[in-house]
Amino acid sequence: MIEIKDITKIYRTGGEPLVALDKISLSIQEGEFTAIMGPSGSGKSTMMNILGLLDRFDSGTYYLNGKDVSHLSDNEGAHVRNKEIGFVFQSFNLMPRMTILENVELPMVYANVPKKERNERAVKALERVGLGNRVKHRPNEISGGQKQRVAIARAIVNTPSVLMADEPTGNLDSKTTLDIMRIFQELNAEGTTVVMVTHEPEVAEYTKRVVLFKDGVIRDDYPQQQKIL
Amino acid sequence: MNLRENFKMAIDSVLANKMRSFLTMLGIIIGIAAVIAILGIGNGATSEITGTFNDLGASTITLSVSNDATDSEAITDADVTALKESIPEIERVSANNTTSASVRSDFDTRDALLSYGMPDLQYINQTMDSTIVYGRYFNQSDYLDSKDVTVISEDTAAALFNGQTDVVGEQLKISDNAGNQSDLTVIGVVKGTFQDLQGSFDLSQMPVYAAVPLTTMEKMNPTIKGINSLTIQVDSKDAIESVSKQAVRILETRHDAVGEDWYSATNFLQALDQVDNVMSLFINFIAAVAAIALLVGGIGVMNIMLVSVTERTREIGTRKALGATTGTILAQFLMESVILCLIGGIIGLVLGIFLASVVSNALDIVPNITIGSVLLVLFFSSAVGIFFGIYPARKAARLDPIEALRYE
Ligand SMILES: Nc1ncnc2c1ncn2[C@@H]1O[C@H](COP(=O)(O)OP(=O)(O)OP(=O)(O)O)[C@@H](O)[C@H]1O
Ligand SMILES: [Mg+2]
Repeated sequence: MIEIKDITKIYRTGGEPLVALDKISLSIQEGEFTAIMGPSGSGKSTMMNILGLLDRFDSGTYYLNGKDVSHLSDNEGAHVRNKEIGFVFQSFNLMPRMTILENVELPMVYANVPKKERNERAVKALERVGLGNRVKHRPNEISGGQKQRVAIARAIVNTPSVLMADEPTGNLDSKTTLDIMRIFQELNAEGTTVVMVTHEPEVAEYTKRVVLFKDGVIRDDYPQQQKIL
Repeated sequence: MNLRENFKMAIDSVLANKMRSFLTMLGIIIGIAAVIAILGIGNGATSEITGTFNDLGASTITLSVSNDATDSEAITDADVTALKESIPEIERVSANNTTSASVRSDFDTRDALLSYGMPDLQYINQTMDSTIVYGRYFNQSDYLDSKDVTVISEDTAAALFNGQTDVVGEQLKISDNAGNQSDLTVIGVVKGTFQDLQGSFDLSQMPVYAAVPLTTMEKMNPTIKGINSLTIQVDSKDAIESVSKQAVRILETRHDAVGEDWYSATNFLQALDQVDNVMSLFINFIAAVAAIALLVGGIGVMNIMLVSVTERTREIGTRKALGATTGTILAQFLMESVILCLIGGIIGLVLGIFLASVVSNALDIVPNITIGSVLLVLFFSSAVGIFFGIYPARKAARLDPIEALRYE
């Protein structure tokens, strides 16, 4: 479902151009649960941003679900992100003034889903992550682990084909990290493709495949026996 | 994303920072309140003035003889007859002048406004109720024979005759400034109350009022020859301009004074035009003040919206990641600035109406706030919101999603 070929990303902001991704090719099938690993600065986030259609690249091609998404306009990109991709961020990125329910409804607002259906689907997604009873609270009234569960509910509510998470457990303690990984495993078991960045090997153990980045190239790429939670 | 969602988000965001939103609106509030108050009071005052003029008779022309003219240009009885005969639109002509004099009865002496004129005298003073209470008004024979008769007002009678008002047949002695004297018989008493002109006259402070035929006055004071102003009433407002012109031309011809500019006609339409001119000057001035206030208010809104966009950079990045398009973000921020301005406009409107009614109350006029000015306020507030909101909104909409998400 994800097919990238010879993707190169060069940052030209500083003095010397910096090759963050050097002719990366990668293929991820439907139903996979992939961990992207590697040392700091190796290009993991850069890769994720390109996979998530948040950033552009200098050369190469990207096919998502068989469709060439290499050269989308801003608004085409927005539509693909809205329909096909669910994002989970390291620092949750919830809207502080909105209730949890409204936060989860937001992607559906952008998809023009009618109010009633939005509400039903948001409640269902929140129940799915075990937060069906906190819908009227605001983000500052819940814990970090709960915030990340809200973010996951928001990411899955438009039933995207792939979940993308850049260090989703980076701000969480080890116990809540396991809670989040369990939810990812459950969603993956139900058929959702998951790609996540992590630099913690113990977290990567819960995935089915590891892609190792170093200096902008893929150093290693191997399937593994998933540790089930 | 539909308008309702957008509206709700904008309201939430405005309410999230109540104090800041209020301070931002202040410029708009003050500007709009000032405009509404001043327009309301101005319109109220205009209709008050217009109303007064209409009461006084908008179909009235005043013809006057210039001070530079000689005695031979004074308006005579024959002039009045000629005017009436040549201009069919004329309903009546009142010819009168007023001088000050003192009036003495057997009981008392008072300063008086002495009015002298032609037989239609009773229509002279448009501001006075000249209904006859006792006796009668002058007639043609009083006039032609210069009879020593006078008509006085009720309160004049009361002042001079110990509170008695039915004084027909009583004698009065009148002396004018030049020392000319005359003994007159009261032949009529009129109501003589003055119509209300912005509050009422305190009649006890007024000199008493008496009227005599012009011929009687000329007999008493030989330096008086004719009259130097006429009041002409025409049958319709539309005739005012043409009658004014014709009347001046007739007088000039009769007195062999064509082109001398000694006769002039003024009418209430001209006076109303003047009021309109003053008002429109005033309104233009207010519009300029309002424009400055709205400009300052709008810059305040733009400033706070730019701050808001910067503060919410990460939020904007997240929204874009979740599928918000450029247009959606643009609409969101534009809606926010429009709402800010519109709420400011509405608060200003309410404040302005309140101010207008307080001030109008004090001035004893009715404030006039039209639907038009309300709509104008709503329109202008929104326009200011759009105009000054477009730059910050575009800035938000054009943010690169990844840079916005990375923003600390
Ligand atoms: N906006 C940018 N402008 C310039 N250089 C950048 C930018 N973003 C990333 N880089 C550089 O690109 C390289 C890859 O960065 P990236 O963020 O992808 O690393 P990462 O693998 O996610 O690291 P970490 O584990 O620390 O998050 C780094 O050398 C980084 O300094
Ligand atoms: Mg990173």
